[in-house]
Amino acid sequence: MVKIYSTPTCPYCVMVKDYFKKLGVEYQDFDVSIDEKAREELVAKSHQMGVPVVDINGTIIVGFNRPEIDKALGK
Amino acid sequence: MLYDLIILGGGPAGIAAGIYAARKKLKTLLIAESFGGQSVVAAQINNFIGFKSVSGIEMKNILEEHLRSHEEIEIKEGARVEKIEKKENNFAISVNGEQFETKTVLVALGSSYRKLSIPGEKEFTGKGVFYCSTCDAPLMKNKTVIVVGGGNSGFYAVLDLLPHASKIYVLEYGDAFRADPIYIDKAKASGKVEFITMAKTLEIIGGSENGFVSAIKYKDRQNKEIKEIKTDGVFVAIGYAPNSGIVKDLIKTNEQGKIIIDHQTQKASLEGIWAAGDITDVLYGQINVAIGDAIKAVLNINDYFKKS
Repeated sequence: MVKIYSTPTCPYCVMVKDYFKKLGVEYQDFDVSIDEKAREELVAKSHQMGVPVVDINGTIIVGFNRPEIDKALGK
Repeated sequence: MLYDLIILGGGPAGIAAGIYAARKKLKTLLIAESFGGQSVVAAQINNFIGFKSVSGIEMKNILEEHLRSHEEIEIKEGARVEKIEKKENNFAISVNGEQFETKTVLVALGSSYRKLSIPGEKEFTGKGVFYCSTCDAPLMKNKTVIVVGGGNSGFYAVLDLLPHASKIYVLEYGDAFRADPIYIDKAKASGKVEFITMAKTLEIIGGSENGFVSAIKYKDRQNKEIKEIKTDGVFVAIGYAPNSGIVKDLIKTNEQGKIIIDHQTQKASLEGIWAAGDITDVLYGQINVAIGDAIKAVLNINDYFKKS
């Protein structure tokens, strides 16, 4: 299960989502600017509140970090 | 494998250089952590020539697509350069445990957010300390926020925060705000913004319960008083610093860390190295200027090969 915590204006969030689309990875997108529960989840998981945060089967990655995302996806 | 040219950086300068290198048939490798450079975070760019208005992401996509249409250019994306060494007549560049050799290097690594370098800043980065207001302003819904920096970057942050935050303080070190009046007026008109000049930020303080930012401490440079403001977030917007750490033992940089170049050719102080864009001591940090300068560099590199 791949989840992304994002805000609508955040360019790096767009880049992460574009990257998943390119790879054909399905993901669930949570807009933390309006979804309070998602915002709490983001903080609980990443111990910070900046976006984007990606949760790939329990591996938490802060920011658009391609090498880490590749590793977590087993690429 | 020995390359003619290795380009470091995937911003406008690096991409423009890649396109010209391909057209000149130089055997080229481009190494980039990501594409687009610092302007990727811009909500809107209105002076990228040829486009009345594009977002930073759109600009990045336009440039990246153009670069990738030249299939002969090798690209290593998502990779951070660890080391650049002079190796006899060539250069060895280490990336993620791999090493690449090249006859020439173009350094186009750009710049990143300048840090305050005060206690608490590093510790609370992401925990209330932010640099990308486009990204993180929406997290400040109904919160009190500090923006450090009274130039244009600071006021961009204020404008990004206005729809979300309930109260914004802008702290400026100097005695006046340097931002364009149009931005200052917008901030004033909102009624939400308090303006503080002559403020030297001293420390970012965290709340004990959750480990997030709770206050900022600053010194009033006028009356030398130390003051504290309670806050949920600190946006640092004090400009940019060049990403030149990796090359500063190899080539000359100025007191701001910017690579000193010959402005006719873009050559750095060591033969075989050129630089372009915001990492250089160019006077104007502009996408269009960076593109032009990178092109000058590649044309000069091409001349260098023709002569040698």
